[in-house]
Formats: sequence, structure tokens, C-alpha cells
Amino acid sequence: MIARRFRAMGTDVELFVEADDAERALEAAENEFHRLEALLSRFRPDSELSRLNDERTLEPGPDLLEVVELALLARVRTGGRFDPTVHDALVAAGYDRSFELVPADGPAAGSAPCGGGVLVDGRRIELEPDVRLDLGGIGKGFAVERAAVVLAAAGPCLVNAGGDLAVRGGSWPVGLETADGQITLELDRGAIATSGRDRRRWRRNGHEQHHLIDPRKGTPAETDLLRVTVVASDAVEAEVWAKALFLAGEDAAAAEADELGLPAVLVTVDERTRLAGGLR
Amino acid sequence: MTSHVGRLYALALALVVFFLTWTTVAARPWVHTSKRVNDPRLAALAAREQRLRHESVVVRRIVQKRWAVYRVELRKRKSQIAAQQAQLAAAPAGAPSVRVVTLPPLTVTRTS
Repeated sequence: MIARRFRAMGTDVELFVEADDAERALEAAENEFHRLEALLSRFRPDSELSRLNDERTLEPGPDLLEVVELALLARVRTGGRFDPTVHDALVAAGYDRSFELVPADGPAAGSAPCGGGVLVDGRRIELEPDVRLDLGGIGKGFAVERAAVVLAAAGPCLVNAGGDLAVRGGSWPVGLETADGQITLELDRGAIATSGRDRRRWRRNGHEQHHLIDPRKGTPAETDLLRVTVVASDAVEAEVWAKALFLAGEDAAAAEADELGLPAVLVTVDERTRLAGGLR
Repeated sequence: MTSHVGRLYALALALVVFFLTWTTVAARPWVHTSKRVNDPRLAALAAREQRLRHESVVVRRIVQKRWAVYRVELRKRKSQIAAQQAQLAAAPAGAPSVRVVTLPPLTVTRTS
């Protein structure tokens, strides 16, 4: 097995592939991460996403177009719990620059409305006034999937980018943090995503803030869950449902995971771990 | 009268002799056949024809051999592509396959 580690999209990325010689595939997978980061980052002024947020209307390349379409579809499927229009709410909460550069504390955080109109007309994307997109989570899931496709050409593989992980072929033991330690899931196919407020958090005027915005309020979500992990057919799907279940709260999330057949691990604020969606 | 008929016969005979002589001279029987065959230009053309025929046989053999190798490689590559496409198409579409185990993890996934 060959492994490669590097940093992209504000997180540590690991690539594993079961092959004797996969240098070219590893190189291509890493390049895919950097390429997509250059397109989808809201922190890079020259990215396609930044241009869209600035210019309000854009005919982007196929990747941004696809991610925006996936995000809008996810907004419908999750009843608005997943929403790409949380950009201004994240900025109002204090997450206005790459996370490493966000001050640990600062003046009081505000809120910003979410759920504005995003129109995709053929190859053109148009944003309503005062609507800006953040594709951080779903963009990372998208990149993980694309890197896995590239790497799968060399052999069975695993791509792990922070909270988003996908496998192609083989059988992979993956560790998850629980309330009291760690469990291992063996994944043969599909993807895992974890959303939570135990990382990427900061303070504003003494109050804790985190990056999971509740689009209904335009502020960081308040829920009895600390962290949600979802296993799904692909990393985008897992990312979307991890966020949506996190916002739902423990009981509703467990019921929804069971109903959708999405294996999930819920870790509550009072330090309990609950398995759902058929996971035992 | 008799001398008039005789003159006509003599004229006809002379014409026949004239044409026979012309035909014979036009055939150039004094030129030997082997001389024409030994013309160096014809010999060069014949040699060139032989060489080209031989070369065409060799080229045809080489092309057939390369074509056979190409067809084998093409079949192999097509089956590889089909297998890969099937693998890629099947993996994300199918339901995820997961279970809790007691193995040590290869990697740990944390909150994004």
C-alpha cells in the first residue's frame, strides 16, 4: 500500500492506494484537490466562486456549475437545512477568512439571512442581491469523490480529507471519535462525513461560535448534538446529510437516519454515542 | 483485245507483288527477337517489378502482424476500460457497505 499526505482546502488530506506503483495516480489525485480548491474557495479572490459572489452572475466552468447544482438539490432534499447561501452568516459569525487566521475572540457576532435565490439557467449562475455562496463542506466532499475516481484507476483506494472520506474497492477500517473513545467502521464502498461543532470554533464577545450555520436563523446552529457522522453512497451525499442531521437534533436525526437507511453515529453534547440508520 | 487483257493481268500481278513486298519489308524480319528482349530499359523495368512485388509481400506480412498485435492490445484495453467503468459506476451508485469492527483503524476521520 502507498500513502500520500498533503494539505489542501484547509485540512490535512490522506490518500491510500493498494498498488505497487501509483505515483502518477497519487500526483493526479493531489493535483485534483488543488485545482478544485483554486476554483471553489471563498477565501481566494481569484477563484470562480469569489468571482460569482462579486459579480452576481457568471458562466463558470463545469466543476463550479456541478457543485452549485448539487448544493441547490441538497437544499431541496434536506428541507433547507443544507444551504449554500450561508456565506454572509458565516462572515457575520466571524468566519471571514481562512480558519487558521480567524481570531480566537473578537467583537459580538451578528447574523445574516440565508435561503436567497440562486438561479441556474443553462450554464449561467445568477445570484439574487445580497446572496453569496459558501461551498466549503460540499466542495470538499466533491473533491474527495473526484480524487477517489482518479486514484481508483491505480487500484483500491481511500481518500480522507478531514471529515470527508471515500473509498473505492477493498475493505478499509476507519476510526471515528465517539463520546468515550473511538470505534472502527469497516467500509467496503461508499463514503463517510462528519459534521460537528467540536472543531472550527471560536469566540465572539465571549460566546462560542462554530461553522455549522442554521440557515433558518442565520447563526451557528444550536442543537443537542456535538458531532454527527453519516455513511452514504458518496462523499457529497454523506456531507449533506451529516450537516442536515446535525441541525435536526438527536431524536429527529436518529429517526431520519433510520427512515432514510443512512448509517449514522450521533455524539451528543452530554457525551453519549448513539448509532442509527441500521448501524450496530 | 488480247494485249489489252494481258496488260490488265500484268497490272494486277504487279499490284499484288508490290503489296506482298511492302508487308514483308514492314515486318522487318532481319531484326532478331532476342535483341528486343535484351533492351536494358525493359530489363530494368522487369527487375523493378520483381522487387516491388517482393517488397509488397513483405510489407503485407508486417502490416498483418502489427494489426494482429494491435487487435489483441485493443481487446485487452477495451476490457480494462469496461471493468474500470463498471467499477466506478457501481461503487458510488450502490448503497454503502459498512459495519462496526474491532480492528485497529488505518486512518481516523474527524469533524471537518
